Amino acid sequence: MEKFLLLVREDLNVLKEIGQEEHYKGIRLMMKWVESLSESGNYTGGEPLLTTGKYVSRDNVLSDGPFIEAKECISGYIFLQAENLEQAASIAQTCPLVIQEKMVMEVRPIMTLNKTLLDG
Amino acid sequence: MDEVRLEADQLYKSHFGKMISSLLRFSNDIDLKTAEDLVQDSFSAALTSWEKDGLPVNPAAWLFRVCKNKALNKIKESKKFSELFVDEAVYPGDPVLAVFPLDDQQLILLFACAHPDLSPKVQVVITLKYVVNLKVEAIAKILGMTIDGIDKLLVRVRQKIKDEKIFFFEPVAEELESRIHIVHKILYLIFNEGYKSSWGKELIREELCEEGLLMTRALLKSTIGNKETSALYALMLFNASRFKGRFGTHGELLDLEEQDRASWNRDLIGLAFYHLELSRGELISAYHYEASIAGIHCSAESFAATDWKAITILYTCLLKINPNPFVELNYAIALYYSGQKNEALAILHKLETEPFFSQYYLLHASLGKIYFAEGNHILAKKYFTDTLTLTSSPAEKGFIQRLLEKVIVTSRYDP
Repeated sequence: MEKFLLLVREDLNVLKEIGQEEHYKGIRLMMKWVESLSESGNYTGGEPLLTTGKYVSRDNVLSDGPFIEAKECISGYIFLQAENLEQAASIAQTCPLVIQEKMVMEVRPIMTLNKTLLDG
Repeated sequence: MDEVRLEADQLYKSHFGKMISSLLRFSNDIDLKTAEDLVQDSFSAALTSWEKDGLPVNPAAWLFRVCKNKALNKIKESKKFSELFVDEAVYPGDPVLAVFPLDDQQLILLFACAHPDLSPKVQVVITLKYVVNLKVEAIAKILGMTIDGIDKLLVRVRQKIKDEKIFFFEPVAEELESRIHIVHKILYLIFNEGYKSSWGKELIREELCEEGLLMTRALLKSTIGNKETSALYALMLFNASRFKGRFGTHGELLDLEEQDRASWNRDLIGLAFYHLELSRGELISAYHYEASIAGIHCSAESFAATDWKAITILYTCLLKINPNPFVELNYAIALYYSGQKNEALAILHKLETEPFFSQYYLLHASLGKIYFAEGNHILAKKYFTDTLTLTSSPAEKGFIQRLLEKVIVTSRYDP
């Protein structure tokens, strides 16, 4: 099994407009999906993210980040174990909120670093 | 006429997937959807003809023959004679009844469905469709999806099955070995879908557990099965032994504490221990730990007399190979009953602060039960009330409602 990070991307404008009830309904749908992924041994962790944050580079700290103007923002992350990238992607595709076109997901393999090379 | 329907139903259950994979092998010109339609057509033709003229001597052979002719007509329609002859050269003799290298066709199909590029959910859906031979309506019901949702999933996956020649799986030792983990997962998920208590008593679910058990047994009896298969089989048997005990006389859900242990099937428990013993080896899988935990529950004389300490140790091991908050929740519950109350509550309250997990009904139900046991009726009431808003299953709602009423009745005597 290889490790993957799913970056959940949602439309900021849509997120602003939906009410709390709708928001929690979404979370419950995600919960059910995550529960089935846990059963299949694919889910290892994850959390939703607030859409506020800071963007840091050497010279300055932009308090509200560049993403505030962007259409999409990362609204959560999920760690998965899967056989390969294809399977991780097809798992992401079974997410109910992806099917409902309420979010998109970016599937990224997690790099394994060679420890002996790092020490050297 | 009933006899005819019964025979057709049984043949559908045992032959649908096999006929489709035979058709796909028969010709490259037949795509999966067409193959399904042809098999479906053959079954309706069979029903009409058999109801009129009675059952033929060999109904299965009759079906295969009709299906082959329909396929030949279909190919002629698309006027691709040349490719047809190529296929006949590859499969001499009667191509539809081509013999597979490994004799259990159902197992070969199962390994074909365990394609590593497919998600577990898709693997389960196509296994239920082409190996267990369930209809789309039944699959939708079992997986809590809409018929439309299953259809859409099948449309996408059919293309992939064709492009990647997924059903042309060659059962060579190397491939079988690399896929056996996935096959175990599929069988585990199928059994669990049948076992989920949220559905209450429904016949179709029990059948699903049976299918899971039968396929696992077939795998175990083949040369491919290994020690992990034994552990999985033991786990299924332990759970199956409690199948009837999980519901009360009125079909209401009972938790482990309330179940009548005399209703558990001792024969199945004995068989499960036998297979758990056979599963001993160098490799210890998640199924080994889960089966051992189930085994401790099944052999305990009562809820209170359960060896919770051993269970917590097994959960610690399980968490190492399968780290996720759902296992942590079970670990916390075992900790509580083993007497480590503070550690248990610390984990549960930590889970409660996680935004995803805070919406999980079983977490709230567990907290409610623990606070009830601790005599904190106010918190117990709060958690059970929260739980009611977090599940939509009538069986689970009924279960929580009962607990809530119990708290209310007991709290009348509170100072």
